[in-house]
Amino acid sequence: MKKNQIVAIIMLVVVAAGCFISGKAFMATWEEDVIIPGPGVTEVRMLSEYFPGLEGTAGDTEIYVMEGEEEGGSVLILGGTHANEMSGHMTAVLFIENAQVEAGTVYVIPRTNHSAATHNDPQEAHPDTIHITLDSGAVREFRHGSRATNPIDQWPDPDVYVNYMGQKLSGSECRNINRCYPGKADGTLTEQMAYGVTQFIIAESIDMTIDLHEASPEYPTINTIVAHDRAMDLASFVAIDMQMEGIDISLERSPTTLRGLTHRELGDHTDTLALLMEAPNPAQGRLRGVTDEELIVTGQDDLYVRAAELGMLYVPFDENGWPLEVRCARHTTGVLTMCMEYGNLYGEPITITGMPTYDELCENGLGAYLNEPTETTTEST
Amino acid sequence: MDKELLLFILMVGSFMISCFALKLPSGMGMVIAAVVGALAGGFGVPVKQLVEGSMSMLDTVLVIAAAMVFMKCIQNSGALDDINSAIIRKFHRFPALLLLCLMVVVMFPGMITGSSTAAIISAGVLVCPILIEMGIPKAKAGAFIALGGMFGATAPPVNMAVMAIGSGIDIPYSGFELPLILLSFPLAFVTAIFLGYRDAKKSDLAAMAQKYEVARQNEEHPRSLWISLIPLIVMVVLMVLPNIFPQQVPSVGMTVIFLISAIVSLFTGKRRVNVLQTTREAIDSSLPVMGILMGVGAFIEVMTLTGLKGYVVVSCLSLPDTLLYVAILVTIPLFGAISSLGSASLLGVPFVLALISSDQIIVTAAIASLASIGELVPPTALAGIFGAEVAGVDRYSKVLRKCLIPALLIIVVSMLFIIFANPIASILG
Repeated sequence: MKKNQIVAIIMLVVVAAGCFISGKAFMATWEEDVIIPGPGVTEVRMLSEYFPGLEGTAGDTEIYVMEGEEEGGSVLILGGTHANEMSGHMTAVLFIENAQVEAGTVYVIPRTNHSAATHNDPQEAHPDTIHITLDSGAVREFRHGSRATNPIDQWPDPDVYVNYMGQKLSGSECRNINRCYPGKADGTLTEQMAYGVTQFIIAESIDMTIDLHEASPEYPTINTIVAHDRAMDLASFVAIDMQMEGIDISLERSPTTLRGLTHRELGDHTDTLALLMEAPNPAQGRLRGVTDEELIVTGQDDLYVRAAELGMLYVPFDENGWPLEVRCARHTTGVLTMCMEYGNLYGEPITITGMPTYDELCENGLGAYLNEPTETTTEST
Repeated sequence: MDKELLLFILMVGSFMISCFALKLPSGMGMVIAAVVGALAGGFGVPVKQLVEGSMSMLDTVLVIAAAMVFMKCIQNSGALDDINSAIIRKFHRFPALLLLCLMVVVMFPGMITGSSTAAIISAGVLVCPILIEMGIPKAKAGAFIALGGMFGATAPPVNMAVMAIGSGIDIPYSGFELPLILLSFPLAFVTAIFLGYRDAKKSDLAAMAQKYEVARQNEEHPRSLWISLIPLIVMVVLMVLPNIFPQQVPSVGMTVIFLISAIVSLFTGKRRVNVLQTTREAIDSSLPVMGILMGVGAFIEVMTLTGLKGYVVVSCLSLPDTLLYVAILVTIPLFGAISSLGSASLLGVPFVLALISSDQIIVTAAIASLASIGELVPPTALAGIFGAEVAGVDRYSKVLRKCLIPALLIIVVSMLFIIFANPIASILG
């Protein structure tokens, strides 16, 4: 056998082994993480009930309904719009597992872009799961996904994506659901998912929609609430309330020049009050050091400490970083305050109990507020 | 010494050893460097990450493969000969004008798709033989189309680097047209004249046109030029229509566009094309660059995993204000050695934020222009490699040498735009 044939055979074997190992790892990410609904959940629906085009696709996703005994307003909490922004997903999980609604109705979609939770962003080197230890010592595993729809569900990307509102974006943004609103019934899977969310809001006459995000510390829109024009009054009260509680948060009006985002299009195309919250996560940024699970959970990074000293960041950043429980505490407090102020302003209360306070979450960590896995919950996954 | 710096030296060192001592292909050298980096960083051999990084280049690799098939098809079918003959016959009396027109032709697919590679392999294939017929040496002709592709990718309406930076800092892709026109067309025209005019003026274009005219008259069954142009027309239509009617005509992507045009060329050429052999030739010639790209993907993923990527960015931003411009000048083109678009996205965003008091549109456009130089920096040097491939130059370093002065011009103009962003913005209104 010639030398180059031997090399070719060795290379083929190496590639086959690489395909097998990585294939198994990629397929493992298709499995959803386990959410264990608390007693407040009255019903679980699917998004495809509001847009049948999603049925049986990777874009269909659960809507957890928590209906209060008393009449009141309705709120939709969107987690996992970007499945790599963990505090968005985890805050949604916290509400599903803990919240008890006394008045009004709370809807939670923990995986808004369901497909995005099934893979990671190439070249970002993110882990595909994170682990949270409960007080009992049990460990819960949660999926760390991508900013965009999985290419196995929607491919190829165009060179330039022109969204429904006519805005030109780089091609890969066609898989970013937060550039695809209000969505299109006959569009791409991502546009259909956005369309499904819009239809759901219209069908259920959702009063307020809160989209939970994370951003890099060097990104100017951070530790902030972005509000549609109609939601500015409400958001102003919320920002003041949070500031008075010692939580540093700013307020921005949804720009009219940036199209396809929840805070702009859901506000323009439905009657909902559209709001978005951003929390800082170094794992999102370009300045981060080692990229691993610890970075996402602890939010600590030496390179970001250096960048803060250089004045490059829009949030303070010291050796304590921005741990996941702090990011979730910001979101949780924000959502609860928005619900309270909605009741004050519009006379339709949304009363939620059972949720940890900002200080409790920061002190006790997420593990103290996640439900214990049982055999049934594990099997049902 | 920082551990990240040690890691960087180790990765670059293992790449050099793989390529120069072990004589392995650059793509494999990149993968070996990535594995060494991951091992040294304490991550073992992260197979998933290596594959994930490589696969980020899948779309680009498919575009390159399809574009090469298209290029070989229109070469082998004889369509190119017909088009070259027609252009020389029509424009032989105006060499300067011809050069400027040819530059715009090369730029056009880059303007539509935002990809210099697409421009070089589509329009460059058409223009390069004409340049050589005009008496321009092959290396210069390769440089002409390489730079033309880069200027096309910088020129509006589509600039991927600006879009990548814009999505990182949430500025909409609007208002960039004029700065991008100023950063591309004047430089492109100067480059066309600089590279081609002296040789074109010396050659006897009239005699060449006469020769083509005679050959055409002697043809047994003369064919209309339009038949030869059909594959190119199909390609342009498929590229342009989704941009004009984005809601009505979906983009099928560059890969499919090139393949459709290649299939059309099989039926419109004057010579029969052996599809299997042509495809094999195309893939053979594009394999090295596809390998480099896959290796680059794995390399970047490990740079991110180990924190090396962040270290490079923070180190650049740590420089004092006066040196910030030097850092931009050096790092953005240099990081293009790995990926020019990656350079714009990774370094462009923090640099634009660091220059927050300057006009963001002008700075972003100028950084995008500067990042285009990365297309000439080895080992990826996509523009240089494809320019050499299309021009039939054996070593792409010969093409890169001819690109040097225009590249310096791009750097100077881009830096002036960055330094004087605010006065330029006020002039442009």
